Amino acid sequence: MSTQTRSRFLDLRALAALAHMRFTTRHRIEGAYSGRHQSRQQGGAGEFVDFREYSGGEDLRRLDWKVFARTGKAFVRLHQDETNLLCTLAIDASGSMSFEGSRGESSSKLHYIQYLATALTHIITQAQDQVGVAVLDDGVREFIPPGGTLTHVALLQELIEHLTTRPTTTMAGSLRSLFERSSRRGVLMLMSDFLMDDLEEVFAVLRLFRHRGWEVVVLHTVHPDEERLPDGAAYRFEGMENEGHLSCSPSDIRAAYQSRFKSHLAMVRQFALAGGCDYRLVSTAVSYLQTLQGFLVDRTG
Amino acid sequence: MFLHPWAVVLGIAAVGLPFAVHWLTTPRPTRMPLSTLRFVLEAVRQHRARHRLRDFIVLALRTAAVLLVAFAIARPKLGEEPLVSDSQTGSAIRVVVLDVSQSMAALHHGVEAIERARTIAAEHLRYRPGLRVNLILAGASARTAFEQPSQNFEALRDELSQASVRPERLDINRAIAKAAEMLATDSEDDRRRELVVISDFQRSNWARADFSPLPQQTQIQLEATGAEAAPANIALLRSQIQQRTAIGGATQFEIEIGNYSPLPQRITAEVAIGDATFRVEGMCPPNRRTTLAQEIQLQQTGWQVGTARLTGIEDALAADNERALVVEVTAKPTYALLTRQSAGQRPSSSYYLERALAPDSQLGERASVDIVRVDPANIDRERLTAADLLVIDHPGKFAAEDISLLAGLLRRGRPVLYVAGEAIDATNLRLLVEAAGGGLQMPVDFAPPPQDQSRRDLFLTSVQQDVAPFDVFGDSRQAITARLRFGGGLTSNRLENTLDDDLLATYSDGTACLVLTSSDAGALAVLNVDLSRSNLPTSEAFVPLLDQLVQRLLQRRAAVTGAMGGEPVVVRLPSGIGAASELQIVGPQPSESELISLGEIADEGIGTVWRWPSPDKPGVYRVERGDETVFALPVGLSAEESPLESLSPDVLKNRLAGTLAVHYRSATDPSGQRDVLWTWLLVACVVCIVGEFVTLTAFRS
Repeated sequence: MSTQTRSRFLDLRALAALAHMRFTTRHRIEGAYSGRHQSRQQGGAGEFVDFREYSGGEDLRRLDWKVFARTGKAFVRLHQDETNLLCTLAIDASGSMSFEGSRGESSSKLHYIQYLATALTHIITQAQDQVGVAVLDDGVREFIPPGGTLTHVALLQELIEHLTTRPTTTMAGSLRSLFERSSRRGVLMLMSDFLMDDLEEVFAVLRLFRHRGWEVVVLHTVHPDEERLPDGAAYRFEGMENEGHLSCSPSDIRAAYQSRFKSHLAMVRQFALAGGCDYRLVSTAVSYLQTLQGFLVDRTG
Repeated sequence: MFLHPWAVVLGIAAVGLPFAVHWLTTPRPTRMPLSTLRFVLEAVRQHRARHRLRDFIVLALRTAAVLLVAFAIARPKLGEEPLVSDSQTGSAIRVVVLDVSQSMAALHHGVEAIERARTIAAEHLRYRPGLRVNLILAGASARTAFEQPSQNFEALRDELSQASVRPERLDINRAIAKAAEMLATDSEDDRRRELVVISDFQRSNWARADFSPLPQQTQIQLEATGAEAAPANIALLRSQIQQRTAIGGATQFEIEIGNYSPLPQRITAEVAIGDATFRVEGMCPPNRRTTLAQEIQLQQTGWQVGTARLTGIEDALAADNERALVVEVTAKPTYALLTRQSAGQRPSSSYYLERALAPDSQLGERASVDIVRVDPANIDRERLTAADLLVIDHPGKFAAEDISLLAGLLRRGRPVLYVAGEAIDATNLRLLVEAAGGGLQMPVDFAPPPQDQSRRDLFLTSVQQDVAPFDVFGDSRQAITARLRFGGGLTSNRLENTLDDDLLATYSDGTACLVLTSSDAGALAVLNVDLSRSNLPTSEAFVPLLDQLVQRLLQRRAAVTGAMGGEPVVVRLPSGIGAASELQIVGPQPSESELISLGEIADEGIGTVWRWPSPDKPGVYRVERGDETVFALPVGLSAEESPLESLSPDVLKNRLAGTLAVHYRSATDPSGQRDVLWTWLLVACVVCIVGEFVTLTAFRS
């Protein structure tokens, strides 16, 4: 593969260190092709796993005739099928994702997510898996189903590169729409700051994904300035989702603010874990490569 | 009231300063899009009430600090505005009356009242356009710096700096009268009239103050220098030795102590008189006058001078702890008994008198009194002149020249006791009164009793029991006098416009029993009774009654007990001391006698008189002829100056001043410290600033 890329968020030199690592799932999944991931199917082409007593109606091709001949009992050979991964990266493109704190545009959450998502598309497709992207705001603004070709990946990375945000305060509708448009089970990786009004509805939809058999990974993205407000005598804070503005001294309210923000983080984590989702807090203060490495290591087990 | 009112306006304007500071120091907010505005809103909502309280407290404290500083600069004054002060403008005539009486030397917290008074007076003697001022130094007399109010403030201040306490009482009404002359207005003079009185406002001499002579529009400022509570003072108010003390004879020495303190005091007085020294001790209850007495004997004749001094006393006024003493020690007194009765006629009226006047006559040379009988028909003038007392009994009718002689002696101070037992005595008394002239005003007119009226079994109905001679009986007077029965004597008619006090006793028929009347320097006592027809000579009352009467007569002869500092002195010198040209006056310090005025001695119709307008210094002043002292006069302080209690300001303002505008200010009263509030305002300002820091720190935590 050429190191030349059109996306400015794809740094192959940096990702070379992660080339040996693969994104794995913790649940059996369904894939379009044979791959290295455990499939939900237990057919006869995969690795032998066990015997099971035959029951009526089963495919006779899986009957172990040799055992039947020796014992007179009918047993079925069980094999674990392996398939490829279908991963959908759902990126929150609401206004709050543009928050860049007091450090400038290059430190915004969206910017961070663009790096992370681009790297994930690269790593996933390198493992012969398929990856798709859904851009969410108040609806599904863009949706490219999972694919594994180079052209497909380039298309995804271009889409990620040109992501912009829109001021919106809801995301449950767009997730539901994505759910309806997704026909095959796979992995849904939701990258969001979860600063929205319909938080409970969002996790309700995520639970739908889980019920259908999706593996849901929640990447909760936060900015350091969101955690403890910026230093400075006075700020005029302006809402990024049409919330108006407010002038105050951060030092006066820092303690109360931090208390509320921690409550918010705890609530999102609680919702995620309660819904059977894999929760990971991602701070933009940490390099995306470090975050990605930790994530992949954790996944690899 | 403010010293700098402009600062108040400035301060009110400066109240906006904290708002300006708040606005200027409020940081300009940095615009910043924030994704978590919802959490900020919740946090701000929680802290909004707390921050509003903090901002309100801080702003209030800052505003208060600015206002307090402004008011401190404005120098607010407590209490009422003085009627006379430097803040007033326009033309004015001001008279400053400075009390220089002896009580102004009283110490309060180690500072004499006169020093405080001088400081206050200096404030009122500052130059101001259109202001004319005069200074009156008020003592027994009122001494003015200028005849009229002047603008020569420098000279007035010089006069003030030289003013000192004088050993005088304060006659405030003289000073007020003098001030009234200067403040008198006419219809074209609309200048403001101001009177400033700086005094300790002693109750003893301010209770009689009368402001009525002042013009009605006069603004009166009373500046008190004394303490609110009277400082403790022990004073030697009077020291006295019975006059004309006979050599070798016992005499009574008395001192009167005023204890003007809240505690009883044990008093010790050291007395030095001539060559004799002795000590008088006793307890003096608080806030009362106490008389201590001691019997002494003097062994030298002539005028003896000395001092009585309180020892071991630390009080507010030291000047009244000492007093000068004078006594004339004479040889044995001689009484001339003018009577027709012979010495051998017994019993007789003159016999009774002789035995009563000289009870110890049987001792001969050692008797205390010499009695010389003189025949009225053949009067020896020298013997009469040399006698200390003339006793007349049954004299018959006096010749006209004898009446003139007796009247002359009486006027020049010779006491006369006339026992009127015969009808002819009425004629003698009438002639004697006529010869003595207007100086002898008897309260009754004696007349012979009618032929058909028998004067017998008379008894006393009215007696002045509190004065000599009847006070000698004390509580037994009623029992003693009730047994007395009188007979003979003259009838009498009460005269109008005469003194009731001169009639010492009256009979049951309304006629006079005993009369004692002054006549210039002498005194005439008339005992209206025929002793041979009364039981008085045989009663126990006769000797003491007669002794007290004689002592009273002799005391009146030598009635010059002393003079008060600052008070005019007019003394009739004893007869026979020589012409005025031969006499000279010597003061307590002989070396100063030529430098200060000691008055003048002149020969006048009634004798030699010493006139002295104003004694300046306490002590003994002697009249000498050659090297011989022929008269001595003690000059002391007035007892009025010793009690240092001040008159209530309310009495001064409401009762004494009448309808005049009066303001009273005390130099020692905390409420009178009018310009001290600014320090407390500054302290409060600092407290506000500290409070602001505390508030900010507390809310920050």
